[in-house]
Amino acid sequence: MIQSDLAVILPEIVIAVYAMLALIGAVYTAKDGLASLLVWTTAGLFTLVALWIATSGSTTTEAFGGMFINDGFARFSKVMILISAAAVLVMSQEYMARRGILRFEYPILIALSAVGMMMMVSAGDLMSLYMGLELQSLALYVVASLRRDSAISTEAGLKYFVLGALSSGLLLYGASLTYGFAGTTLFSGIIEAAGEGQASLGLLFGLVFMAAGLAFKVSAVPFHMWTPDVYEGSPTPVTAFFATAPKVAAMAMFARLMFEAFGGVVGDWQQVVAMLSVLSMFLGAVAAIGQTNIKRLMAYSSIAHMGYALMGLAAGTQFGVQALLIYMAIYVTMNVGTFAFILSMERDGQPVTDIASLNMFSKVEPGRALAMLVLLFSLAGVPPLVGFFGKLYVLRAAYEGGLAWLAIAGVIASVIGAFYYLRIVFFMYFGEERDDTLDAGTSPVLYGFLSLSAIAMVVGVINLFGIEGAAAAAAATLVP
Amino acid sequence: MSLFVIVALPFLGALLPGLMYGAGRKACAGVTLAVTLTALVGLLSRLPEMWRGETLYARVEWLPALGLNVELWLDPLGFFFALLILGIGALIIMYGRHYLSRDDHMGEFFTYLLLFQGAMVGIVLSDNILLLLIFWELTSLSSFLLIGYWKHLPEGRQGARMALTVTGMGGLAMIGGALILGDIAGSYRISDILQAREAIQASPLYTPALILILLGCFTKSAQFPFHFWLPHAMAAPTPVSAYLHSATMVKAGIFLMARLWPALSGTPEWFYLVTGAGLITMVLGAVIALFKHDLKALLAFSTVSHLGLITMLLGTGTAFGVLTAVFHILNHATFKAALFMSAGIVDHEAHTRDIRRLGGLRHLMPVTATIAIIAALSMAGIPLMNGFISKEMMLKEALSTELYGPYWLVPALATFGALFSAAYSFRFIGHTFLGPKRDDYPAHPHDPNPGMWLPPAFLAALVIGIGILPFAVEPFVKFVTGAVLGNVAEVPTYHLAIWHGVNVPLMMSAVAVVGGLILLALHRPFQAGWDAAPRPEAKTIFEAVIAGALSLARVLTGAFHDGAFTRYAAILALTIVAAAGHAWMTGQTAQPMAMGEWPGFAPSAGWVMLVAAAGALVMFHHNRLIALILMGIVGTMVSVGFAFFSAPDLAMTQISVEVVTIILMLLALNFLPDFTPKESTAMQRVFDGGVAVLGGLGAGLLAYHLLTGSAIAPPISGYHLENSYLGGGGTNVVNVILVDFRGFDTFGEIIVLGIAALVIYALTETLLFGPVRARLLNRTPDKPLSGDRHPLMMVVMTRVIMPLALMVGIYIFLRGHNEPGGGFIAGLVVAVAVVMQYMASGFAWASARQRYPYHGIIGSGVLVAGLTGIGAWFTGTEFLTSSFGYVKLPGLEAFEVASALFFDVGVFLAVVGAVMLSLESFSRLARRADMPDSEYPMDIDPSRDTRTEGGA
Repeated sequence: MIQSDLAVILPEIVIAVYAMLALIGAVYTAKDGLASLLVWTTAGLFTLVALWIATSGSTTTEAFGGMFINDGFARFSKVMILISAAAVLVMSQEYMARRGILRFEYPILIALSAVGMMMMVSAGDLMSLYMGLELQSLALYVVASLRRDSAISTEAGLKYFVLGALSSGLLLYGASLTYGFAGTTLFSGIIEAAGEGQASLGLLFGLVFMAAGLAFKVSAVPFHMWTPDVYEGSPTPVTAFFATAPKVAAMAMFARLMFEAFGGVVGDWQQVVAMLSVLSMFLGAVAAIGQTNIKRLMAYSSIAHMGYALMGLAAGTQFGVQALLIYMAIYVTMNVGTFAFILSMERDGQPVTDIASLNMFSKVEPGRALAMLVLLFSLAGVPPLVGFFGKLYVLRAAYEGGLAWLAIAGVIASVIGAFYYLRIVFFMYFGEERDDTLDAGTSPVLYGFLSLSAIAMVVGVINLFGIEGAAAAAAATLVP
Repeated sequence: MSLFVIVALPFLGALLPGLMYGAGRKACAGVTLAVTLTALVGLLSRLPEMWRGETLYARVEWLPALGLNVELWLDPLGFFFALLILGIGALIIMYGRHYLSRDDHMGEFFTYLLLFQGAMVGIVLSDNILLLLIFWELTSLSSFLLIGYWKHLPEGRQGARMALTVTGMGGLAMIGGALILGDIAGSYRISDILQAREAIQASPLYTPALILILLGCFTKSAQFPFHFWLPHAMAAPTPVSAYLHSATMVKAGIFLMARLWPALSGTPEWFYLVTGAGLITMVLGAVIALFKHDLKALLAFSTVSHLGLITMLLGTGTAFGVLTAVFHILNHATFKAALFMSAGIVDHEAHTRDIRRLGGLRHLMPVTATIAIIAALSMAGIPLMNGFISKEMMLKEALSTELYGPYWLVPALATFGALFSAAYSFRFIGHTFLGPKRDDYPAHPHDPNPGMWLPPAFLAALVIGIGILPFAVEPFVKFVTGAVLGNVAEVPTYHLAIWHGVNVPLMMSAVAVVGGLILLALHRPFQAGWDAAPRPEAKTIFEAVIAGALSLARVLTGAFHDGAFTRYAAILALTIVAAAGHAWMTGQTAQPMAMGEWPGFAPSAGWVMLVAAAGALVMFHHNRLIALILMGIVGTMVSVGFAFFSAPDLAMTQISVEVVTIILMLLALNFLPDFTPKESTAMQRVFDGGVAVLGGLGAGLLAYHLLTGSAIAPPISGYHLENSYLGGGGTNVVNVILVDFRGFDTFGEIIVLGIAALVIYALTETLLFGPVRARLLNRTPDKPLSGDRHPLMMVVMTRVIMPLALMVGIYIFLRGHNEPGGGFIAGLVVAVAVVMQYMASGFAWASARQRYPYHGIIGSGVLVAGLTGIGAWFTGTEFLTSSFGYVKLPGLEAFEVASALFFDVGVFLAVVGAVMLSLESFSRLARRADMPDSEYPMDIDPSRDTRTEGGA
């Protein structure tokens, strides 16, 4: 009985046990001296577990009476989470080590948050959902303020924590209302209680409050306020992490909760999600225009991108979920590359995040500038780069889900949003000549990730690396 | 040749110039030319089939789920444009090979050129609207690279920026239009969409789709109000301008309008938008062109004007309009490309394009002059040139078009545009080539080698050829027109001919030519007037729009993201209230099952006190001490509330937790200033207060509604009431839940509690070795320290209370299983008893009498609880299963002993340890702060003094 349950969550257990052993091991030995090694082993473990999950068959299994679900959707999301987390870890090692902020807690906290995220995407019950969410969030609160001696970093961490606690409280309130009116915390029970058509008022309140709490985690407008501050305040590798794996996890969890617990009352949440989506796209696009700091810019960019991903969710169809998954996979790939570039932005060994410093960067390093150009065009969703396909998927999903207005709004927002991506391209290629341009990059790791990601944006055009079919299969397990 | 090969050839070929770079410039150009010619031959090889009326299709699946497949087709329209693209492309390559200087990177240039060419061929051969979109943006991308090829020119940068911003955004807008069209037609194949005219025009989404598509077309083809980018993109090398801005890229928008003509045209929306924009663009472009001094700028605005002309013709929605448009596309491509190349030659030889510094070049470069004059006369619409014929047709069409009211408006404007068109063409000829030879050219102009003048000469020959023998191309033009119309039968029977007799269009044309000559004669005063007149400069407007967008974005961002937490919280709170309101409005509300009753006087008074204390807390929170006291009141009222609602356990827990937390906070207060600074204005506070009231009211109303409604599931309390004694051996259900039913939870909780205390300890430890330490040491208290820090009365009192308090603790602990009480509360009570000693007698005195380290007490608590749980294994049950039985000791009555009792001991120990450890941690801070701490319990002790004296 318990053995079979444990077998289902073995990947999570492996990482959790690893994290605890690593913590004890590091505390009692060389502490920060082990940090680099731990970063590599953690990244390696993530990759192995990701491979393991990816090749572990296509059955749907449940554990602990349905609290934990291991289905295609969960596996797809977990692979994305683990691979992107591993990539960000590897990218951060050198950056953090050179600046003396590489602490051994960092990889361990990332590992713990990864366990939380895996739990989130597999949750089949409000309680396991909350447990995963909090495990992830608590680890992230700490990493956000990893640079303890920096006022801006600690402020970011504190804001994130307080707002995060508020949103968790809201989620819990919603969960308890749902429990009160459904009589169970199991998704499979809630969907029965909610019935078809329209949910009762109590469940509706539960739904709305939980959606608000989840919207905070995916940083959808108007629950996004923490994002720019945290992105700017955190050390850049941490920002890169924030922009990738947790977004996938939160989005996947959002989708699972909506479909598995409230799949019968799509109409009740569709409008809410569509509203979040349209607000996110527009605020993200408009606010990013005025930014001068590339990390803040990426914060608004990720808000806008979450808006697009939510568009897939708002469609309320299987195709919509497929679009959401594809969008997230593409988004994560682009962001890994973009942050590899941002991490390598430095002058005289000091990190620079000012956009103006990119002026005429194409002269300093044509190769990196070209790779960034590809990524920025892809982020803007300009055909024929892969980013365009993501947009096309969600737009079609929304359109076919009966939300034509949302699709048109999305197009308009993408037009506005293209402006600021293209602006960076201009700075790099046609900017003013300045004395304080950036140094040429030194790190082969970052260069590797940057070029891999850029190449993926071009080569992926051929068949999106076959992700389409996998996403379709994953979506089919969530929305029958 | 397969359509795939035709489209793929330029893309594959784009690799070659880069690879061949080492082989020299000639090889580079040669291989590029070879690629283009191969594609051209391939295209022509399909002509016979097409001429028979077949439409060729080619199809490969790509992403079928998206409806995106590589679907190509070749119909006369696509063939026509592909011919233009490849044919002029070949000429441009020959020309560019000689035009580019030795310093320019040939390989890079030709790679971009081929990429661009491939994308253009892709656009015109796509049978899938999504595929078309991809090629469309690919042209933006590659044209951006081409325009930016000469990076060193600052205007080039500006131009590239505007070009990409405008066309790129337009292309993105088109995605929406394409999706809507494809959805209405049920297929993303263009050939299917063209069949779905009725469905598309009947759809409510027709207008948005049309606007989105036209946004793409107008931006690409530089139609008003997006006409401004094209002239600024002219800083690119001339071959690029000639290729992109005369023959190909700017025609992509025209192409798409022609392509979708059967599906979209014929509605009033189409007519007003397309014809209107075309007409305005035509006139505006022609007028501006006359006053430009840069040869290329002049040509650029003339291109804008001619594109407007074609757009206007397509907009009229008549078959004759389409025929004219197709013919003019052909004519414009020939003469404009020739003109650009001539202008390039002039620039190349004379080293200037400024018309004011030129003149008399006819003597120095006769060949170039001849070519340019032929092409320019065609542009002016002089008979025997092809431009004349299509202009006549345009005027004829204009005569029968009625827009915005008066019937004479369109013809008058068309004549006006033609007049300026003639004027700038004459100016181009007159001020560049005619007139006396000058002696102040920046270089020594002479005719270039044939490689450079042959391509324009070929085009000039076409200009005259078509002009004199228009019937030769008539079948082809009608063939293409039939494809645009989607129906060959609709092609008008009009004949392309030089002479149609003296009719109204001819007279309008004559007016235009004569007026143009007069205008040129009067050019100088007009130019002065133009220069003096204030006029909106599109570039400045573009920049102002961008600056405006920037400041709008900043204002928005500033309003929402000012970094203030209160702002964030307010947004959050308001949104949640709004979301809840939305749920309330849309949800089904059931009638309340019960009504709220008047709770009686005392509870109401308590409620008022609670609210008053909370309100006062908000008012006075700047004074930390008062804030603490008010919090104490709130806590007490909450405890009373619990007691009122028959939850004595909760009440007891709450009150003891209150006491402990308030005491701990009092200690922390010791290290803080008395007042917190005021950071907000009165207005903000009023606003925040409003938000708070709104949130509170919302939560209250929701709670009221839910409490008076009915829950679906029966409450779980019934089960616990039934099973508490049977299963757990206790009548206090709360305690049984804690130590038995939910023992696992409690076990986890005490561990968490212990960890929390350890974290407090670790944090203060870290603090004490950090920079804070110095601050603590140098701290001066806000208030003078009391002389009597350990008041005698208090010390004595606490000493007396200590055993009593301990006794109460034990009592509460023991009764817990059946009556309100239990290990948790008992732990708190005992902790309070010990804390009192600390407060009254000082940390040093109390610590000295502490026997066991608090870490250990926490640990032992967890251990005891854990071992109790493990004990269950010995009875063959699972971890933490409780059991109980009755014990009879001599002299006592039989009493019950449950294993839960031992578990409760663990809870008790953990709570005591945790509270005391946190307290001790704070006390360490205080002691570090270097407060004199006496080892004596009392500051004043007469006996001690006498003893000391006695000893001395």
